[in-house]
Amino acid sequence: MSELAVAMFAAETDAHLLAAPRNRRFETFVRSFDEAASLRRLAELGIRWVARRDGGYPVRLRSIHDPPVGLFVRGAGSLDLLARPCVAIVGARACSPYGSEVASMLGSRLASAGVVVISGLARGVDGAAHRGALGTGITVAVLGCGIDRDYPRAHASLAAEIAATGLLVSEYAPGVEPAPWRFPARNRIVAGLADATVVVEARARSGALITADLALEEGREVLAVPGEITSHLSAGSNALLRLGATPATTASDVLEALGIEPAAASVASGDAPAGLSGTAEVVARVVADAASSVDEIIRRTGLGASEVSGALAELELLGLASEAEGVYRGVMRPA
Amino acid sequence: MLARTVTHALVGLYPRRVEVEAHLQRGAPAFTIVGLADRACQEAKHRVRSGIASAELEWPRSRLTVNLAPAGLRKEGSGFDVPIALAVLAASGQLPADALGGHAAIGELALDGRLRPVPGALVAAEGARQAGLGRVVCPAESGAEVALAGVEPVPVPHLAEAVAYLRGLRDPPPAHGPPEPTEQPSGGPDLRDVRGQERARRALEIAAAGGHNLLLAGPPGTGKTMLARRLPGILPVLDDEGALEVTRIHSVAGVLPPGAGLVRLPPFRAPHHSASTAAIVGGGGGSGGPHVGEATLAHRGVLFLDELPEFARAALESLRQPLEDGVVTVVRVAGRATFPARFQLVATMNLCPCGARGVPGAACACSAQRLQHHRERLSRALLDRFDLALTVPRSRGEELAAPPGEASEPVRDRVEAARSRLAIAAPSLSCAADDLLTRAVERLPLSGRGRARVATVAATVAALSASDTVAVEHLAEALSYRPPQELTA
Repeated sequence: MSELAVAMFAAETDAHLLAAPRNRRFETFVRSFDEAASLRRLAELGIRWVARRDGGYPVRLRSIHDPPVGLFVRGAGSLDLLARPCVAIVGARACSPYGSEVASMLGSRLASAGVVVISGLARGVDGAAHRGALGTGITVAVLGCGIDRDYPRAHASLAAEIAATGLLVSEYAPGVEPAPWRFPARNRIVAGLADATVVVEARARSGALITADLALEEGREVLAVPGEITSHLSAGSNALLRLGATPATTASDVLEALGIEPAAASVASGDAPAGLSGTAEVVARVVADAASSVDEIIRRTGLGASEVSGALAELELLGLASEAEGVYRGVMRPA
Repeated sequence: MLARTVTHALVGLYPRRVEVEAHLQRGAPAFTIVGLADRACQEAKHRVRSGIASAELEWPRSRLTVNLAPAGLRKEGSGFDVPIALAVLAASGQLPADALGGHAAIGELALDGRLRPVPGALVAAEGARQAGLGRVVCPAESGAEVALAGVEPVPVPHLAEAVAYLRGLRDPPPAHGPPEPTEQPSGGPDLRDVRGQERARRALEIAAAGGHNLLLAGPPGTGKTMLARRLPGILPVLDDEGALEVTRIHSVAGVLPPGAGLVRLPPFRAPHHSASTAAIVGGGGGSGGPHVGEATLAHRGVLFLDELPEFARAALESLRQPLEDGVVTVVRVAGRATFPARFQLVATMNLCPCGARGVPGAACACSAQRLQHHRERLSRALLDRFDLALTVPRSRGEELAAPPGEASEPVRDRVEAARSRLAIAAPSLSCAADDLLTRAVERLPLSGRGRARVATVAATVAALSASDTVAVEHLAEALSYRPPQELTA
């Protein structure tokens, strides 16, 4: 029996199917289904199909309790990517600047260590993780809609960049519209493909927590990035920590959880690099302690507005500070 | 009998000579106005007739035709009342035949014969000067405006007084010169009221010194609007030429307060975000061709757009031409007009639609889509026009309890000093600063326009610190006022 037929039938009936249904309609469908023609059409669209029983089907995904009947795949990457160490980075769509920076930093550092970064192509944390990983390695996006769709549309160019070196995968055939109930289903694939799931900023009862729960059910490692206890955006991730998730404060924490030896830090941490002006050094120390607005830095240091502004621009150029929403924070260095 | 008076119609911002001819002939009493007069102008019939009766003069009992020449030019508004009345009186022999020589006239008539001011008296008076006419009969309120044009005003409150003057029964009323500008006119609210906000104050000072466009982002209630409204107070007052130009525009638009002289303060215009494209850049209007918009009213001053993303996108995009060229060109069926519009753009915006973003401890309730939509409302091309952009975070309690900040006056002194320095020669980039700029272009999202913009702002910063070259610290400060990443992402 063809698993592709099940996937195509699911697309046609707008259903979620994990096995061939026992009904007339499906029997009629199967009788008229031409697998070879269907595969040809997919190939014309640049889409590959890997069925559950195929050898290329990701081993980790097969071992979850409700694996999809098969995956539609597009992108230049090989399917073997999914057999490498994989880490899912998930979190809020409407994330804070902090969340987006952490996601991008983790994505970039993990990818540079050879880990495949998996996420859901959504706005916010997902997008930041993909973008971070693109700069240094391979990333894979799991879609909650038909494999031919770029959803959200704002991420169409990101999807194209991911496809250039990595993969986009979906259990849904081309043409399937995004629907709210498909995203939790998508999250089980994200969790299922990965050895470990890192939650960066999640509200209580959010999609990212569903992913974390699914990962736990499958016995995968779950890590959470600690957030401010006053921020609603970190309520979910902090709750995970209280339940015993491993805190992810650096990429090394995640690598350690995977049993990978982190490479020696490329930049010596600790002291600021030489060549900073005196003012910049003072300002650097203030923003490294706590994220601060320019006016707060002015009051803390007693320097003038123009000096502080200049010093901050200098730090930004050196990659030692970043600004979001009027607040400057020190940039985390590899540890 | 035929008599003629001269007045000037407004075409855009320029005067066009219009001759008002009144002709009396035998026949059944009738009154016709010809020469493409619009509705307000046609209604002059009734005002002129009542006004003449109220001034205890005689309405001619014969067939009366008034022609507004050139007949091909559309005439609109009520400014033709007084010239029509004088022409009728001269045609019916109630004024000496040569009394109107050397005079132009402008003004609306009330039913009781009083003269009411009309927009554009300054431009009309300039027309009179160019036409070699020495005196302009005008409403008393417009006397100061007419005097600005360099012609002698004959300001009269009532038609009867105009007639008495033209009959030579009395001297022209004394012309009150425009009120002499006081030493330093007060520019509205003072910077002293702003507590804390050191960085925003500094940005405002740089914007004032360089005439740069400024974007203030941040959560509501942080004083963005309060800061922006204090910009005119730290700008140098207008020079003579600029003041005359601004006064002319405001006169035509009818926003000049009656009896006011030259507009010395840089104008500050704050259209509401529901304003249409025509309201912003000009256009619309009726038969008389395009009208000036807020962009032109803000010429040589500040155009303030509060809640920038709330403006219609078409209205915002229409600002790109004036921001680039300093003029707006409006094309309508009724005609094409180019208006000056060299203004400094100041805008504010929230970081997200619900306004909670940027407030410590507050949870933003905006969905990712709404946030995206909010950001996409502003095109990158428009954001690129802001030379200085900064996020104004919410002040903490300690800041609000701080003593009052520096007043506007010392800031204006520094701005004036920097402006005169920039007028002589803009500080040039030092080698070290140029290196820094090149490194910045490589690292930061900075367009070609962005690079030039940073260099200009850096020159202003250098001028403010009385330096002849742009040093590294000046350039670094200029770099810190780029649009926040979340706005350009």
